[in-house]
Amino acid sequence: MHKNKSNRLRTFCLLLFCLAIVTKVSAQMVRISGSIFSNGLKPLEGAIVTLHPSNKITTTDKAGHFLFNQIPTDSKSITVRYSGYLLHEVKLPLNKNAIVFPAIVLTPEIKELQEVIIKDSYEARRKKEESLTIETVNSSFIQRNLGGSLMQSLQRIPGVKTISIGSGGSKPLIRGLSFNQVIVVENGIKHEGQQWGADHGLEIDQYAVNRVEIIKGPSSFIYGSDAIGGAVNIKPIPLPAKNVLGGSVDLTGKSNNEQFGGSVNLFGRTEKWFFDSRLTAMDYGDYRVPTDTVHVYNYAVPLYKNHLRNTAGRELDWHISTGYSTEKLKSVVYVSNIYSKSGFFANAHGLEPRNVDTALHDKSSRDILMPFQEVTHIKISNTTSFRLGSHQLKTQLGFQKNFRREYSHYVNHGYMPPVYPAAMYAPQDLERQYDKEVFSVAIKDEFSIRNHQFTVGVNGEQQQNKISGWSFLIPAFKQVNAGLFVYDKMQINDLWLLHGAVRMDYGRIEMQQYTDWFPSEITENDQTSAEYLQRSSALTRTFGSFNWSAGVNYNPGKWSFKANLGTSFRMPIAKELASNGVNYHYFRFEKGDPNLGAERSYQLDLGMDWKSNKWSVQLSPFFNYFPNYIYLNPTSQHDIYYGAGNQVFEYEQSKVMRYGAELQMRYQFTPQVSGEILAEYLYSEQLSGSKKGYTLPFSPPASVLFGLNYTPEIKNLKDTYFSLDYRYNAAQNQIVPPEKKTASSNVFNLAFGTKVIAGQQDFILSMQVQNLFNTKYLNHTSFYRLIELPEASRNIILSLKIPFLMHK
Amino acid sequence: MNTLKLRTTRTLAFFCVTTFILASCDSDKNEIDTEYPVIDISAANAFPIQCSQVTRGQKITFRAKFTDNTQLGSYSLDIHHNFDHHTHSTEVNNCISDPIKKPVNPMLYINSVTIPTGQKNYEATQEIAIPADVDPGDYHFMIRLTDKEGWQTIKGLSIKVL
Repeated sequence: MHKNKSNRLRTFCLLLFCLAIVTKVSAQMVRISGSIFSNGLKPLEGAIVTLHPSNKITTTDKAGHFLFNQIPTDSKSITVRYSGYLLHEVKLPLNKNAIVFPAIVLTPEIKELQEVIIKDSYEARRKKEESLTIETVNSSFIQRNLGGSLMQSLQRIPGVKTISIGSGGSKPLIRGLSFNQVIVVENGIKHEGQQWGADHGLEIDQYAVNRVEIIKGPSSFIYGSDAIGGAVNIKPIPLPAKNVLGGSVDLTGKSNNEQFGGSVNLFGRTEKWFFDSRLTAMDYGDYRVPTDTVHVYNYAVPLYKNHLRNTAGRELDWHISTGYSTEKLKSVVYVSNIYSKSGFFANAHGLEPRNVDTALHDKSSRDILMPFQEVTHIKISNTTSFRLGSHQLKTQLGFQKNFRREYSHYVNHGYMPPVYPAAMYAPQDLERQYDKEVFSVAIKDEFSIRNHQFTVGVNGEQQQNKISGWSFLIPAFKQVNAGLFVYDKMQINDLWLLHGAVRMDYGRIEMQQYTDWFPSEITENDQTSAEYLQRSSALTRTFGSFNWSAGVNYNPGKWSFKANLGTSFRMPIAKELASNGVNYHYFRFEKGDPNLGAERSYQLDLGMDWKSNKWSVQLSPFFNYFPNYIYLNPTSQHDIYYGAGNQVFEYEQSKVMRYGAELQMRYQFTPQVSGEILAEYLYSEQLSGSKKGYTLPFSPPASVLFGLNYTPEIKNLKDTYFSLDYRYNAAQNQIVPPEKKTASSNVFNLAFGTKVIAGQQDFILSMQVQNLFNTKYLNHTSFYRLIELPEASRNIILSLKIPFLMHK
Repeated sequence: MNTLKLRTTRTLAFFCVTTFILASCDSDKNEIDTEYPVIDISAANAFPIQCSQVTRGQKITFRAKFTDNTQLGSYSLDIHHNFDHHTHSTEVNNCISDPIKKPVNPMLYINSVTIPTGQKNYEATQEIAIPADVDPGDYHFMIRLTDKEGWQTIKGLSIKVL
């Protein structure tokens, strides 16, 4: 076994070594200058001018003037970016020593168009300037790969998986890490729901997402605790163009769960004031799987017409943002409310696999019966950015309220009375309620000193968590976090970029005590007495942490290389410190450990990118070590009191090693036909503790996706594409109790899309057939994997987007 | 130009091969236990079995055979009412159940036993007294068995208290 392991490590090291391959580029120097104007011929100050392919950047002065001194001779073009205007690209004439451009006039953007243009340049530029592994996608990617929830739509990106809960909910799984180890940021504010629960989806409206940036690695130095495994950063929607009133209508239908839904967007802007609003509604039925019987542990459960009983749901979201924007000051207020109600598979919830009233459940595939969850997430935030001398400042204030209720029939266990008492503080069917309120504040300052680009930031967060319901898992708690960071990006020359960051954090968590609402029989010295047991005692813990990160980018010609080494940390959460109750989804008793330390991680990230006219290749390996990973360990014990004889799982800390890589290759066969290969591999192993030698839960198997894309030119149509994806998931034989080995699978997806132009009106149409051959397969990282539930049957998704402009 | 192209192709080929090798090492096995323990109630003296009947005021003896490939952990027994038909069993055949009724004083029995360390085979016996004053009717008898590593097997039996 050791031989095998060292072989694998050797292969991995070999791979890393390859990244040291370096190419040399000779460089003679010339100079370029020019001026940038708005379409009203006003000079634009602060426009960003980028030189390609060296990615040298400068900004324009008050007169809209820019100057590049000494540029590499291989420079091919410059691009100009300015908020509210389309990206402008100018090719450089060859063999000249000095170039003075005539006035460059920018064209104002119309929101819809911008997405397409951003794709190539923005994404590529970000990748070359960040030493962490970053993937950026926009809303057209989401529309093309539309899944039941945001994270499901992003699964095509290698290294990004989801833990899906039915057809409408999922949480991010980045390189095998999820829950509180991955953070989601929306409009600059950290999204705070109940991330710890595998059954809790992410409260994000995917129609409202314009651009998502995924950091596949530790990013605690930017985001603080919890970003130990990665970050999903949902960027604010771009501002509408000046003096425009417009919007769009999205309509979506899905065959598998008979979902219909849509979203209406309306935006407008005068010279300085703007607004953006959106309303999204969705309704779906029970989803279907290609099997008629599911084995919930050893209990056989027949399914009616392949419907996964009681997994229907609905969603209703609204968003409003409004603000003021000038060249000096921009201030936006965002308000959003996300509401969802969805059922849990009725046979797999409670103290044991349950028998359900099939006549009641199977009457309709659209009703939501017990057990179900209902979540409301409210967000109010303000982001203001302004300039003070040479400093670009940004302040963010946020308030969030996450209100989650889980309903289920009362099932007495332990010494709970068999009949629910009439005078209880919670309604009979309210199993659990979590009520979280979070206030957050952040200030960021960006400034440059010579070739150093500094970012200095402070942020603070305060949260209150209340609980209710007849069952108990985690106590109520208050939490305070504060952090301070300095980040320096240093441009050494055209080819080299260095990064350095340090961050200090402080966190305090105050947990309240919780006492049972019913008395339990305690036998001591043959004396039996009834006592109200205390499940969790009052506890305050404080944590401090110092983290650093250092990275480098080297971008010679067609190549770009990156490396980053850094630490990350995560404060233990209330569930890990103080849980003491039954998890009804997994029929297990979970016990926290009040003495857990803050989780720490060391990670080395590497990246290699190569682009030519026809080829593009990107490889991103990483190595990660945790001296004290917090792990929920299944013990051999059972809890006979509150746990009703269920198996006890206890939080422990162990040393963990993880490594892996993602590969992306694209080849343009002809101008219309391209192919791609997206592959990912991950290995994790616990190096100490009671599960030494085992992997971590939810470890995604290796997988390869082969994609073929055809983009024909058809009259009256634009941006037409046909694509076929074939994904091979390797078997996952590395498991840890209570997981099961998952066999390999072959899944095909088909997609088609086009833009129909009818007069002045565009219609953007897209269609997908997911699981084309109705393959019955298991997904190792699905929430329902433990109960042997196959993934959804064939699913045809149709969506239509109709952008409109009412006034220009 | 040609040599550059060749080198590029070679580098690409190299990366493909390495990635392939990387991706194909996942079948590697550490010597870790991934097997579930087994609950065997097929012996003639095993009790209870599916549809067994027990009488109030009497003592019954639970008997089952447990096995595991490495080492057994512990087992728990749980008897609770099924008057509302909320639960079913892991067994293939169903028993005839009484009509749904409300519990008044249902029997509740939960006990857990740690199996002595180092056992791969274990004959479990446990005396259980059925109180005389509990509600008669359909009950559920659950056996949960773990091994040392935390793998768990569940057996759920339907029994009747007379």
